[in-house]
Amino acid sequence: MKGFVARDGQAVAELDDEERMVIARIVADVGLLLGGEQFGMDAPVDRDAGLDDADEILRHLRGLEEALAEPDDPAVLRLLPSASREDREIADEFRRLTEGDLRDLKVERLRQMWEQLSEDGPEWEVASGDAMSTAAALTDIRLVLGSRLRLFSDEDAERLHTEIELAAHALDTDAEQALGLDPERVWLGMLYQALTWLQESLVQYAITADDPAAGDDHE
Amino acid sequence: MSTQEELEREGAVALQTADAWVTIVWNDPVNLMSYVTHVFQTYFGFSRHEAEARMREVHEHGRSVVSTGGREKMEVDVQAMHGFGLWATLQRSGE
Repeated sequence: MKGFVARDGQAVAELDDEERMVIARIVADVGLLLGGEQFGMDAPVDRDAGLDDADEILRHLRGLEEALAEPDDPAVLRLLPSASREDREIADEFRRLTEGDLRDLKVERLRQMWEQLSEDGPEWEVASGDAMSTAAALTDIRLVLGSRLRLFSDEDAERLHTEIELAAHALDTDAEQALGLDPERVWLGMLYQALTWLQESLVQYAITADDPAAGDDHE
Repeated sequence: MSTQEELEREGAVALQTADAWVTIVWNDPVNLMSYVTHVFQTYFGFSRHEAEARMREVHEHGRSVVSTGGREKMEVDVQAMHGFGLWATLQRSGE
């Protein structure tokens, strides 16, 4: 894996086939996670067939309630957070006004990324103007992974880093069983770190592309 | 005793305060410092120096007020921050 660098006026990273496949897969998973919660999911069937009109209204009401309620999955809540910590009225109003658009924006960015990763060849090319929206989509994926890895504080993130270093060392010396490492956590953690590294390289590209003097470190 | 002019001025200040909301960005362990700085710089138009100062405030103190204005404007800013994957909230100024 090679991080993003400027080439021919765009950002280009290099991934091998397996890396592309793994990242495309998690991109698709996060897209599904956002789409699967969408307004208008089938409500449970009411067996009382004589009340079609009431059914219809109840279904709409249930749909409205589902749309207003905070997402149950903590990972989805990280992608679509509450706009107020204390005031339910503000949070609900904001969710009603913006959640659909935010979901659409995030799913569309992920779809675009998935299409780029599904093209042939090792290069992952991102147009200069799409660098920050791609970095935002990478953030969304890392937020989902971070939630699954239970990263709630900066200390958790640092601990993960140490864990992965230990795991990498243990793999080199065939000592992973002695350390009692959870292979799934190690795998997700490595993916999280690889995406962090890719995103950092893309942000550095965007900073330089938006302001070529930024690297000179003067105001 | 207040003059009419003073009363009007106080009234105007009170109105302004009642209408003042803020957008707050909260710390999280996932977002990169470089990314948050660049989002602040490009979205809010902060200088690099100011954007870095706000980012550091978020990172070290857990939160930073990044914009102030009417509620509708703050909803636009919070939505933009959520679009970038940052956790932002809005509230009345001074709460």
